[in-house]
Amino acid sequence: MQHTVIDRTEHAAEGVVSLLLRGTTGPLAPWEPGAHVDLSLPNWLTRSYSLCGDPADEEHYRVAVRHDPLSRGGSEYIHHYLRPGRALQVSLPRNHFPLLPAPRYLFLAGGIGITPLLPMLSAAVAADIPAGLVYVGRSASAMPFAEELRSRHGGRVRLVATREDGRPDLTALASDLAPGTLVYCCGPAPMIAAAQAAFPAGQLHTERFRPAARVFPENTPFDAVCARSGRTVPVPADQSLLDALNRAGLPVPGGCREGVCGSCELTVLSGGPEHRDDIGAPKGRMYACVSRALTPELVIDL
Amino acid sequence: MTHARVRPRRVSPAEVRERLGTPDALVEAKILDRIDEHFRRFIAHSPFLTLATADAAGRADCSPRGDYPGFVKVLDEHTLAMPDRPGNKLADSFRNLAENDGVGMCFLIPGLRETLRVNGSAYATDEPDVLARMHTEGREPELALVIEVAEAYFHCGRALVRSRLWDPASQALADEMPSVGEMTIAQHNLTIDPEVIDAGLEEAYHTLY
Repeated sequence: MQHTVIDRTEHAAEGVVSLLLRGTTGPLAPWEPGAHVDLSLPNWLTRSYSLCGDPADEEHYRVAVRHDPLSRGGSEYIHHYLRPGRALQVSLPRNHFPLLPAPRYLFLAGGIGITPLLPMLSAAVAADIPAGLVYVGRSASAMPFAEELRSRHGGRVRLVATREDGRPDLTALASDLAPGTLVYCCGPAPMIAAAQAAFPAGQLHTERFRPAARVFPENTPFDAVCARSGRTVPVPADQSLLDALNRAGLPVPGGCREGVCGSCELTVLSGGPEHRDDIGAPKGRMYACVSRALTPELVIDL
Repeated sequence: MTHARVRPRRVSPAEVRERLGTPDALVEAKILDRIDEHFRRFIAHSPFLTLATADAAGRADCSPRGDYPGFVKVLDEHTLAMPDRPGNKLADSFRNLAENDGVGMCFLIPGLRETLRVNGSAYATDEPDVLARMHTEGREPELALVIEVAEAYFHCGRALVRSRLWDPASQALADEMPSVGEMTIAQHNLTIDPEVIDAGLEEAYHTLY
């Protein structure tokens, strides 16, 4: 956990506030474009937000939060009650959406999905790598950082206001794509689905804010063998691995509890994890909040 | 242990009013008919409330409700929504509301002496947009209670001051109580080990959503 204080809040667009957080105990942990942090809110909720400031600024993190009309208490709380001067605990940055080396980039942002792509575009431009951004939103006033992007990156940025222009034709974008281009897309579920239909899987990297709607096989019980502590924790069908470990007194942090934020990452030593997360667990890792086991036993490094 | 039933003297309602005197104009004026920004802030920070309902005959019931702060959602100035989390499945509140839609709520914030009182009428809903706002730990409640607010006001903190409710030292009172398992067994002359009941309860406390 890192200690910060809210230095400034700004209206970034209709229903979007950006928070500038300043570290209060020395420089903040370094991060790379695509990274996110968890904010521990005063109402006990933990919420993940992409860092959208400048990675070179060791004193500050910037996040932007859209007020979700169906808020469960995270974004609504931030909008109504977080004001400059308030102390806020922030996790270390994690990155499930890193910018891999490529000769060219195409960034696709939908609404608040602009946040992880903002520092990516800056990094590509700074490294002199050809990059373009297609930024889709309902209307210009609902698109955070549109002005900032236009003034900093000019012709590299194409703003698409769906209310006037309709949705962009991703298939046309895909057919014009130069070989080797990597596509980074962050936005609402329909946009991710459209990108997955348009671009080859090997070229596309996506990040979601909420889990994709999917149907999983029925839960089965399994045993979590904790190699370091020498304990075996049974995980019943009606309980998550995360809850079972916590109940057994083995603390594993939880965040979103829906396979998006990655705070409950575990190292799997043997056995077959059944991945149900939306992060795309790297080899040998799993997310205890949603993922289960294909084998009767999972050996984890805990 | 049997005793004759104790029946203290009944004071008539008229006499009660006479003895207490009339309420201050200020006290009556503090009652609003809606959830303004200050009440909203209170609700956003409250993890616990008591919910009172009654059946058609006026037989009353009061039950505790709790979750993370702000678990009661303010849908608009006149409307609240509260998740129905897993409980004892007695559904006393729902059964009462089917006959009599009146509700009284008392919101508490740990550490704060004043409480928020909200009275109104309520009904059960399964509206997806309401339940979506209550999605917790991968689960949504089956039902929520919609509360149409008739009156809302801050209740002064004397009761909490007198009760030392938020004084950490007050928690020593819990040590004076036998476990629920021990009490249940004594109450119903059961022959099982009280540990079985206590362990069962502990187990249930792990299934909160």
